[in-house]
This record gives sequence, structure tokens and C-alpha cells, in this order.
Amino acid sequence: MATSVLTSVPGNIWKVLVSVGDTVSEGDVLFIMEVMKSEVNHNAPISGTVTEVNIQNDQEGVNPGTIAIVIE
Amino acid sequence: MFEVIKKGLETSLQDYPGRVGFLNQGFPPSGPMDSWSFRLANLLVGNKVEEAALECQYTGPSLKFESDHVIAICGGDMQPKIDGTAVPLWESILIKKGQTLELSFCLTGARTYIAFSGSIQSELWLGSKSTFHKAAVGGIDGRAIQEGQKISLGNSNSKIGKKIKADVIPEMSKNGVWEIEVVRGPNDDWLDNNGYQTFLDAKWKLQARSDRTGFRLDGPLLSFNEKATNKSPEHGYEPSNIIDQGYPIGGINLAGQTPIILVNDGPSMGGFIVPFTVPSASFWKLGQAKPSEYFKFKEISVEEAQDMRSYQTLICSEESII
Repeated sequence: MATSVLTSVPGNIWKVLVSVGDTVSEGDVLFIMEVMKSEVNHNAPISGTVTEVNIQNDQEGVNPGTIAIVIE
Repeated sequence: MFEVIKKGLETSLQDYPGRVGFLNQGFPPSGPMDSWSFRLANLLVGNKVEEAALECQYTGPSLKFESDHVIAICGGDMQPKIDGTAVPLWESILIKKGQTLELSFCLTGARTYIAFSGSIQSELWLGSKSTFHKAAVGGIDGRAIQEGQKISLGNSNSKIGKKIKADVIPEMSKNGVWEIEVVRGPNDDWLDNNGYQTFLDAKWKLQARSDRTGFRLDGPLLSFNEKATNKSPEHGYEPSNIIDQGYPIGGINLAGQTPIILVNDGPSMGGFIVPFTVPSASFWKLGQAKPSEYFKFKEISVEEAQDMRSYQTLICSEESII
């Protein structure tokens, strides 16, 4: 089953830490956003394989609720 | 009482108008960035507009209630739910013992206020309950709320189903561009005519590196008068440097070529020029703007700014409750 990881805040993508094909465990940090001079970690809600990465490093002005990463 | 299940990005206790009168000792006013929505939320639950409530920024908290309580949620739409069922903004609602209020990311706006009938129990610090986390004072333990905290409330004795008249609800930008009023000064004469006009004509993009201290903007380069370029050395070397001065709340600080709007938790003094100042009545729009949205500045007179403030005070009253 595919699970989407959505951006939780508006802001910039600072670092994307996974690529398509990577195996991740529940709780792993997938990407870090930057807003209000803070780093906002986005963690894997399930264990699985990354099948989609729709964001990139230093991407600006990303809206909250954007499907950033898909894990199967 | 409620327990913090999820804290949100940075959720803090604020009161209105905050810690006013201590800027000369370095303490900013703090208080809610969108004081319009904040005051309406308090009125809905039968509180005075000044009472302390929670300010949620970008992503809201989840709170589990240990007793029945009347609350109201006003401001940006963080998709509030009680035990999974959507609940309305701009209305007094009942949350029951054992239920969880859950806020998510903002669909519109950037900041949301949760007011509680009877307010939140917290100590005054220099006359205010507002959190100023950089000095770790005010609010609850001087910082944003934390997971696992249990927070005490006053007695809930308000009615549910109270609403705000539709025409006094602040309107969020739909196209990502906000018109922000400014008044000239105090250092407008450091820009030349071209720099002055460029500032007012440009669309300025709000950087993600912005918080309750300052809002950093991206836009065109500004040009200066001789006053800025040919000055005595104690002013500093950059055209935007000036001998240290006090900053007004809402001052638009020009740091090199980056305008920074000094907002509720901003610094009281420094050595950059302040060519324009955002009046307090326009702060609510700053508080509801998201990173990468745009500001278009419109110059108004001090009298017009005072009229705007008087109008907001007038509508943030019982008259607006139905």
C-alpha cells in the first residue's frame, strides 16, 4: 500500500535525505524543511521503499499539504 | 485542563496588547501577530479581548481536554477537528471531557488562535502573560507549549453557537499578494526619490527565514541619498548603516539591501535605517502571510493609520457577535 508524506508547513525544502528505491524504516527523517528560522523534520510514517520524490534541495515556496514523498 | 498531545510548530500563549511599556529595557511587546482574529476569538467565548489565548503558527497542536469547555478558533484555517469531525472557525463550540482538538497545516493564512472561556491560567510577567521565548519569559515556562504538558483553564461559563458577523471577519489573501500599509519614516530621507519609489512599486517576497522577531523580504536594490553615502564614520560603512537608534515596532529595517520588518518580538534598537514603518492595524496581514507570498506596500498618513486602528478596536467588540 502506498503512503504519501505531505509537507506540514509552508516554506523551503532544505535537504532531501532519500531517493527513489531507498528502503526506509518508520521514524526515519525523509526530508527537512526550513521555516521561521527552524528546521522541520518530516519522518517516515511507515517502513517501506521510496517510490516517488517530488521535491528537491533548496526548493522555495512549497505549500503545506504538498505530496512530497511516496512510500510503498 | 487540557493535555498537549502534539505541540504544533510553535504554539505559544499570548495576550493583547502584550508587554507594552518595556521597550526601553529591551522587552518587545510580543502579543498576537493577528490581534484582529485574536480579539474576536476571545469575544466568542465571553472573555475580555485582552485575555491570554494560544497562537498557533503554520501547523497547529492537538489538545486533549480533561473537562467540558467552550472554545473558539479564529484566524487561518488549520482544518480543526474534534475527535476527527471537522468543527467551524469563527464560532464558539463545546469540546467535551476526553475529546481531542486537532489542528493541522494551514489551508489559508498562517496563524490561528484558540481562545478558551475563562482563559488560560498563567502568571503575569512585567504585566503580561505573553510568551517571549527568546528571553524565556511569560506564557507557560517562558516558551512554546510542549508535548505532555497539562495546562489549566479558568471556569468555562460561556454559550456555544455564538458567531462573528460575516463583514468583520478579516479576509485572507487569495492570490498570495498582500497589500500592506506603511507610513514614512523615521529615516525615509536616507533613500533617494528613486529608492523611495522602487520600494513602493516593487512586489516583495517574504523569506522562509522569518519569524516573530523579523520578516525578511526579497526584492529590488534600493538607492540612497548623499546622507547615506557621505556621512561621518560613526554611522558605519554601509549606506544603510546609521548611528544606533531606537526602532519602532513595525519598523522596516534596511539591513544592507534586505528589508526586515521588525514585528512583535523584534529588537528595540540597532544601527540600520528604518525608511518606513508598518502601522499596528496592518500587523494582522503580516501574521497571516506565508513564506514566498508577496507584499505590496501602500503609503498612508499617520492619521489614516490611526483611523484604521480605531476601526479595528470598534469592530473587535460585542457588537460583532451574533
